[in-house]
Amino acid sequence: MYKEIEFRVNGNKVLYSGNPLRRLVDVLREELGLIGVKEGCGEGECGACSIIKDGKLVTSCIIPVGACIGSEILTIEGIRDTEKGKCIVDAFRDGGAVQCGFCIPGMVMAAYALLQSNPTPTEHDVRVAISGNICRCTGYDLIVESIMLAASRGGELWQ
Amino acid sequence: MAVANYIPETLDEALLLRKAEGAIPLAGGTDIMVQNKRGIGLDPILDRPVMIIAGLKELKGITLHEDGSVEIGALTTAGEIASSLVVPWHVRMAASGMGAVALRNSATIGGNIGNASPKGDLPQPLILLDAEVVLISFGGERRMLLDDFIKGSKKTDLRSDELIKSVIIPPHDFTYSYYRKIGMRKANAISKLSLSAAAVVKDGLVVDFRASSGAAGPKVIRSREAESMIIRRSIEDIPEIVPDFLDAWDRAISPHAMPKYRRNTTARMLTRFLEAIVNEEDHGIIE
Ligand SMILES: Cc1cc2nc3c(=O)[nH]c(=O)nc-3n(C[C@H](O)[C@H](O)[C@H](O)COP(=O)(O)OP(=O)(O)OC[C@H]3O[C@@H](n4cnc5c(N)ncnc54)[C@H](O)[C@@H]3O)c2cc1C
Ligand code: FES
Ligand code: FES
Repeated sequence: MYKEIEFRVNGNKVLYSGNPLRRLVDVLREELGLIGVKEGCGEGECGACSIIKDGKLVTSCIIPVGACIGSEILTIEGIRDTEKGKCIVDAFRDGGAVQCGFCIPGMVMAAYALLQSNPTPTEHDVRVAISGNICRCTGYDLIVESIMLAASRGGELWQ
Repeated sequence: MAVANYIPETLDEALLLRKAEGAIPLAGGTDIMVQNKRGIGLDPILDRPVMIIAGLKELKGITLHEDGSVEIGALTTAGEIASSLVVPWHVRMAASGMGAVALRNSATIGGNIGNASPKGDLPQPLILLDAEVVLISFGGERRMLLDDFIKGSKKTDLRSDELIKSVIIPPHDFTYSYYRKIGMRKANAISKLSLSAAAVVKDGLVVDFRASSGAAGPKVIRSREAESMIIRRSIEDIPEIVPDFLDAWDRAISPHAMPKYRRNTTARMLTRFLEAIVNEEDHGIIE
């Protein structure tokens, strides 16, 4: 039986020994201060809390921290200053993808997960990749265009 | 914290917890965490201990057996099923239509079956294919048809000391296949209605015919009575059987909400599939 939950967040080791049912989003935001992770619906429907767990996009509001043993977790804070992260964030800015910004960390994580596995996405691929991320402001088109821009600007970066 | 929650390291530890405390298994958590949600900063509380089985390697992975059957471990996610090269088409279609990307990376087949919602997407094609579920406990394993294991809405035959270990899908080679899920929107939409159908046609004779309806009653519905009306009939005879067949199917389903819409749409989908058989359309997937 595991007594402690050991995992890595943005490259740093985390040891957690509380209730394994605690929601990952609460551990990230409240324990670790990673408030770039947003909470919208708390039910897996809006994508605001999206993070990358072991290379895969997941919604941290419906994952218990006890399911993260040995996991490698990436939040917006962990990719923002990397080359790939900057490529996406710059494309979002230049493409005018951001209005209120609440959905954006989740959108960036979804874009990151997409480009990691598919460096040359079609517009349809992009729309599928962010289909679990709700934006109340933009109408999505500028977000989709910005992700396409990140793919073309990044080029080799994503290969 | 009302009750202790656990993270077993091995399948044996999990089975022991199951036997000793009847601990509730949490796989992806996408049903349990939502159903027991209490709000921001608050941990979900259940009335029994929960054990998080997400890490158990023994319950992961997809295997193609020598006899052509495909075994899917209970912790396999919808995303892994959707992108598998060996899982049968109907099941891949259902998996790829679940939720959105992030949901498919968490939601497991064992959880979809364990939750036993009539709107769950995976049991419908699995029951079409006569899939069996393998249940494991300290006493050993037992196998039964998934159609028998799911007893009704939210009801299964799972014993309090058991876990779902895997699902086994026998091999099939269909001439025609059909799958359709109808939801409110494309992503993160629970099924309003779904239908799978499949047929084997040889020399103008329908050798095998089957269909299954999801979200059209307390559990997935396959009417053997209706199916048998089509099986071993020649394709020329089918047009005159269609009305009786549709009546029989309509009697088998029992949709609660918007029953008229669900009944009409089901009949339309079945009619389309039968029409493809009668017209001897190109073999393969019928749209
Ligand atoms: C945003 C969102 C969208 C969704 N969209 C869909 C959809 O399109 N289609 C669909 O079908 N569902 C959908 N769901 C529901 C849910 O994701 C699925 O039912 C999923 O397959 C559940 O799997 P899980 O591993 O997350 O289950 P859990 O929440 O971990 O468990 C569900 C139930 O199964 C039991 N269980 C789990 N594993 C085992 C096991 N190995 N042995 C015995 N019992 C077990 C648990 O004790 C519990 O009772 C959606 C959910 C959300 C939050
Ligand atoms: S807050 Fe997690 S998906 Fe909405
Ligand atoms: S920019 Fe406001 S929600 Fe997307």
